[in-house]
Amino acid sequence: MNDLLRKLRPERLRELVLLLLILVVLIFFSTVIEHYLNARLFNRVSTSVAILGVLAIAQTLVILTRNIDLSVGSMVGFTAYFVGQQLSQNNEITPLVAILMAIGVGALMGSFNGFLVAVCRIPAIIVTLGTMALYRTLLVEYSDAQTVLTVNLPKWLLDLPRVNVLSYERLNLRLMVAGMFIVVILFQLILRNTSFGRKLYAVGSNPEAARNSGFPNQKIIFTAFVLCGSLAGLTGFMFLARFGNITVVAGSGLELKSVAAVVVGGVNIFGGSGSIFGAVLGAVMIDLLENSLIRWLQISEFWRDAMLGILILTSVATDSVIMKRFRNYRLKKLSQTNS
Amino acid sequence: MFYRKMITLVPLFAMLIGSMAMGHTIANKGQRADLVLMPKFLGILVFDQANKGAKEAHSELKNPGKLLFLGPTPENSVAGQIEILTTATTQGQDGIMISNNAGDQIVPAARKARAKGMTVVTWDSPIPSSDGEQLFIAQVDFNETGTVMADMALRIIGPSGGEFAVLSASPDASNQNAWNAAMKEALKAPKYSKIKLVDLVFGDDQSEKSYNQALALLDKHPNLKLIMAPTTVGIAAAAKAMQDEGLCDKVKVSGLGLPAEMVSYTMNGCAPEFALWSFVDLGYLSYYATYLLATKQIEGIAGETFKAGRLGYYTIEKDPTRDKGLRVMMGPFTVYNKDNVEASAK
Repeated sequence: MNDLLRKLRPERLRELVLLLLILVVLIFFSTVIEHYLNARLFNRVSTSVAILGVLAIAQTLVILTRNIDLSVGSMVGFTAYFVGQQLSQNNEITPLVAILMAIGVGALMGSFNGFLVAVCRIPAIIVTLGTMALYRTLLVEYSDAQTVLTVNLPKWLLDLPRVNVLSYERLNLRLMVAGMFIVVILFQLILRNTSFGRKLYAVGSNPEAARNSGFPNQKIIFTAFVLCGSLAGLTGFMFLARFGNITVVAGSGLELKSVAAVVVGGVNIFGGSGSIFGAVLGAVMIDLLENSLIRWLQISEFWRDAMLGILILTSVATDSVIMKRFRNYRLKKLSQTNS
Repeated sequence: MFYRKMITLVPLFAMLIGSMAMGHTIANKGQRADLVLMPKFLGILVFDQANKGAKEAHSELKNPGKLLFLGPTPENSVAGQIEILTTATTQGQDGIMISNNAGDQIVPAARKARAKGMTVVTWDSPIPSSDGEQLFIAQVDFNETGTVMADMALRIIGPSGGEFAVLSASPDASNQNAWNAAMKEALKAPKYSKIKLVDLVFGDDQSEKSYNQALALLDKHPNLKLIMAPTTVGIAAAAKAMQDEGLCDKVKVSGLGLPAEMVSYTMNGCAPEFALWSFVDLGYLSYYATYLLATKQIEGIAGETFKAGRLGYYTIEKDPTRDKGLRVMMGPFTVYNKDNVEASAK
């Protein structure tokens, strides 16, 4: 019993429960929607998760430090538009350069957020609420009311969403999904095995203690924002590849969805705990629900947004009510055996 | 007795003659009127084209006043429009041209503007109840839009018939709602009996949302033959979605689109035909009507005729698509297909 408790860290339990819930959702919708469980569903959900998943990882890095980034949607939109515009004007730009350009633009915007939060010490929610509008307006001005059109984009970019890495019967693992897995593994490794990763958790779980033990808190928070921006930039590139037509509203609403994915994935909104894997599971849950609700005729347009809200509230509530008890119970049991 | 009658008749005649002269108003140039052109929101090409037309009219009429192009940001369209209208009233602008995205929620603000003597004209999308608005500059006849869409659907789906669905913009856009209603009405005619409208979804004029809605339509209706999107954002997104899924042979896309945005899909067969009108002309005509109203050269009553520069004469009439309200109708539609889309895309 105690062995089990020791292995079962609260985050692991959250992830297991979430996996179970995803299964429940799948079973539920397969009973109410005809031809629901098929390869097309997998292809569709996995492709949209590729975009939301990377953004959820970006958001996780910031939320772990007890901050939040509400400007991610605008960053995605701006990068998608900017890179799209560059590629339209110059079709010769290679894929690698385009991706680096997207990451660079994102990093630049992220570092502005980071500067205001870490150096000027303005609360992140205020800073990013401001830059959310700022980056969006920048996009409106920069775009001059023109839309990025698929006609002008290079062929490799338009074909990108259809490229498969693996195919089994009609199940396709798209290149973009594989790209997300690489990002997941990379950041999972960074968070678990590097001193930066451990500091990220430390700063979030107890900033005072972290500062007293000599951690450069502000530097870590700054880095978290820059990484968040870079990943938002990468998301912008994937967004451009998938949707092709980029208007000034591109990516709006993604800030809410990314926060929802992170919270549903068990990352503590007050920082300090949670995992990359959990956040991606959260993204799967949200995209699965959205893709399914859209097909479930009984649910109106307006209720779909409300479902997202309900999901956020429930997961935060369970976190503070049930998971807190479980955490305390576990610590008590474990300390009893130790003494 | 006779003289008395004459006395009452003379002014009557004078009024009659006067109204006939007024009936063909030709703009008196160079009068001052500060005007505001307000799109649904910023960053959509068609609204920028309307602004181009309004600017053209502005300089043609030698208006010493200012022409401002003010619109809300996309995510704040409804509240933003009301705010801009209220601010314009406070600033004492002489007139505003609104492409209404706020439904009847804009009525109180429009009424206040009218109470302060400001000219309120709508274009592209009217105030549904027409409350607070003097005149609506309609791009095309809304009922005709319904017929044009139904005809395109019939031509694309073919005589053997089949299912199609509508991908609209937002549920608040009164022009979209009016067109969809008009199309449903048109579909009742016997010649459309074999084509069946099975669904109506909203993509909020957002590319990604429209794209996902188009994919969901495929899942919901496996026999779907056509997606009809009466919005320039929606039609392009739907065409990209069909192309990405490799379904252009099976499911076609049509609706209202811009040639520049649709040319590749028309040439590769994803969107064999679509329709639109000139937004430059719409902005130009809206400006003329608003200038004439704001400078009191016309009153804005049914039956008045005025000349709108290079576009010629227009008459104010009762709007048959709304219970109350007056309109000026521009027209006509251009239907684009393989033969003319490339030339228009430039």
